[in-house]
Amino acid sequence: MKQFWYGLALLLFLALPPVRDLLESVMAFHMHMQMLLLFVSGLLMEPFFQKHFGGVFDKYNKTGLPGVVLFLVILLYWMLPRTMDEALEIWFVELWKFVSLPFLAGVPLRDSWKKMSQTFEIVVFMILMVIFSVMTYLYIFSESTLCNNYLMIDQQTVGWGFAFFVLCIVMYILLVLFTDQSQYFGDDSEA
Amino acid sequence: MKKPLRIVTANKLALTNLATAFALLLVGGFFGLLQGLNRAGVLTIVGGMNYYEMLSLHGVLLILAFTTLFMNGYLWSAVDYVLGGLTKGIKTLGWAAYAIFMVGAILVAIMIIAGEATVLYTFYAPMAANPWFYIGLVFVVLNIWMSGIGVFISAFRWKKQNKGKHLPLFAFFAVGVYVLITFGTAFVAAEVFYIIPWTLGWIDTINVLLTRTLFWAFGHTLVNVWYLVAVSAWYLVVPKVIGGKLFSDSLARAVVILIVVLNVPGGFHHQIVDPGFTEGLKFMHLFMSLAIAVPSLLTAFALFATLERTGRRRGGKGLLGWFWKLPWHDVRFLTIMLAMISFIFGGAGGIAQTNNQLNQVVHNTLWVVGHFHVTVGVAVVLTFFGLVYWLIPHLSGRVLTKKIHNLGIWQTMIWTVGMLFMTLSMSYVGLLGSPRRTEYTTYGGSATALEWDPYLIFVGAGGTLLFAGVVIIVYIVFHLMFLAPKGYTEFMMVEEQEEDAHKTPKWTENWGLWVIVAILIISMGYVVPLVDLIGNAPPGSPPIRTF
Repeated sequence: MKQFWYGLALLLFLALPPVRDLLESVMAFHMHMQMLLLFVSGLLMEPFFQKHFGGVFDKYNKTGLPGVVLFLVILLYWMLPRTMDEALEIWFVELWKFVSLPFLAGVPLRDSWKKMSQTFEIVVFMILMVIFSVMTYLYIFSESTLCNNYLMIDQQTVGWGFAFFVLCIVMYILLVLFTDQSQYFGDDSEA
Repeated sequence: MKKPLRIVTANKLALTNLATAFALLLVGGFFGLLQGLNRAGVLTIVGGMNYYEMLSLHGVLLILAFTTLFMNGYLWSAVDYVLGGLTKGIKTLGWAAYAIFMVGAILVAIMIIAGEATVLYTFYAPMAANPWFYIGLVFVVLNIWMSGIGVFISAFRWKKQNKGKHLPLFAFFAVGVYVLITFGTAFVAAEVFYIIPWTLGWIDTINVLLTRTLFWAFGHTLVNVWYLVAVSAWYLVVPKVIGGKLFSDSLARAVVILIVVLNVPGGFHHQIVDPGFTEGLKFMHLFMSLAIAVPSLLTAFALFATLERTGRRRGGKGLLGWFWKLPWHDVRFLTIMLAMISFIFGGAGGIAQTNNQLNQVVHNTLWVVGHFHVTVGVAVVLTFFGLVYWLIPHLSGRVLTKKIHNLGIWQTMIWTVGMLFMTLSMSYVGLLGSPRRTEYTTYGGSATALEWDPYLIFVGAGGTLLFAGVVIIVYIVFHLMFLAPKGYTEFMMVEEQEEDAHKTPKWTENWGLWVIVAILIISMGYVVPLVDLIGNAPPGSPPIRTF
């Protein structure tokens, strides 16, 4: 339950007006920091929902696949440049961001992760790699501003941020594929 | 049958690195003395080298050369000792790295002495040096990468031969140190390869702010690399010297991982008064800078716990009775303990400097010089000195005599008092506005500048004491290498942790993952400013020669 409180505290911190203002003032902070942290807050809060609404997860997310699909739908929605503009201009879209990323992306993904095989995890990472590669290309090479609220340079910065996400995902996939990660589970007492 | 004594097999390699480090400390320290006396107003530098050439050489020799060579000598020894010896190939790599370093160091030093590279150790553009200065720096970076490769291969080989076991903590520290410095040097390599075509005239102008940003991604990391080297001794050597135990193996490993993954973006706080960055960006970076305080505070907690528990086992009673039961008369403890105490003040000063408003007041003043003489000159260097008393005799097959031990106590006292004089006066006079990186001047008899003089006298006095300290420590090193009686000195490393410590989790060993996390965090820190600096690049500056 400690994790739930940390997640809730993070969510409330991110919702504070000065924090929101700062994180939304730079496009890269908005997309890669605020949205990512909202998603992380959901990951942290998942045990609470698992404890109190475990039946719902068992019924609707038995294989883990529905949770991943929901996560990807929410992710793809927030990858659309227009949605960021709307979040900045329409209050209920901003509210939707604070609801959807933690509760419809973070929470279901953590529940699904426990139910998925390692192969499926790699498939999810590869899907993310493809999505982020497209975003890299789009944001770096687009000749016009895609978000009305940000400048071209902000957009290119986000593109480069995506490029590093892709690099890290590729490295992680290689790490998982070519090293025995099971050796890093447990502690000395099991040796 | 008598058990063979465990020794470092790469002792000649380690001793050569250490001997060169202390020889360079002597030269660099001498130039520090001249600068201190100049700032005190008692020495005018005429003929030969000017003040700024000396300042450049002092910085390069002490901040780049001494620390790098000491780190190599110390960590090569530790890795060799805990992993059961280095292979012949790795030792050859170590010697090649040393040779490369010497080529680089000689090129750099010649350029500075010839007046071709009076750019200080930070070599900020648009000040330009002779291209050979930067080529020399490339060789120094190559030394670091080659040393890192040697450590990584040795650790990897050990892990393959000892499946399921944790890499010994000393080797874990060494891997962390070289991973971190490899990240840092990647930035400075990019900077130097950008500057070289500019100094050769192949490109007309340079993006000044970009070079500064690349430099501080390296510079700040370098500072924290020395710190991590010192921390390895705090965790592993101090408990052994005082007869205690390691507080927690897991905590020590977590600290190494945190320092490695969080460190590089912290470099941005050195640019807190640079133009061209928004305050919002600087504020975000404040979090990244202060994040580094987390492993430091964990370390402080663990070390105080070790000291207290050991003091109580030695009979210490009451709230603070344990404190006086610690072996203050043992130079191996005294040095490192004073170093750790100084870090409390140095670290607090560093945190204060991340404050935008305060930084605007002190940034270009002697306050900053005072700050890094506390952190580097005491917390790091005094730790290094403390290691000399057992590491060098271990490597040279000799023993520390009572006489040299007592001389070491004097050396520590002289160094501490010298640093107190120098850093306190620098810090205070910095608050009064006295600039750093400036030869002594009264600015035409200005009342404000004359107000600094009484404090600057202490800078000179402190510098004089410190040079005396340098001479003594160099003599001690020489004695322990060549003159001390032959014998066996134990390699000081604690091998036992407290009974109530957590079992070490295996995830700590996942270096592949930590490297990926570090790249992710570095990109979070640097993508925004670097894309802005390159995308909105100003016309740039041609090379400028000042002194």
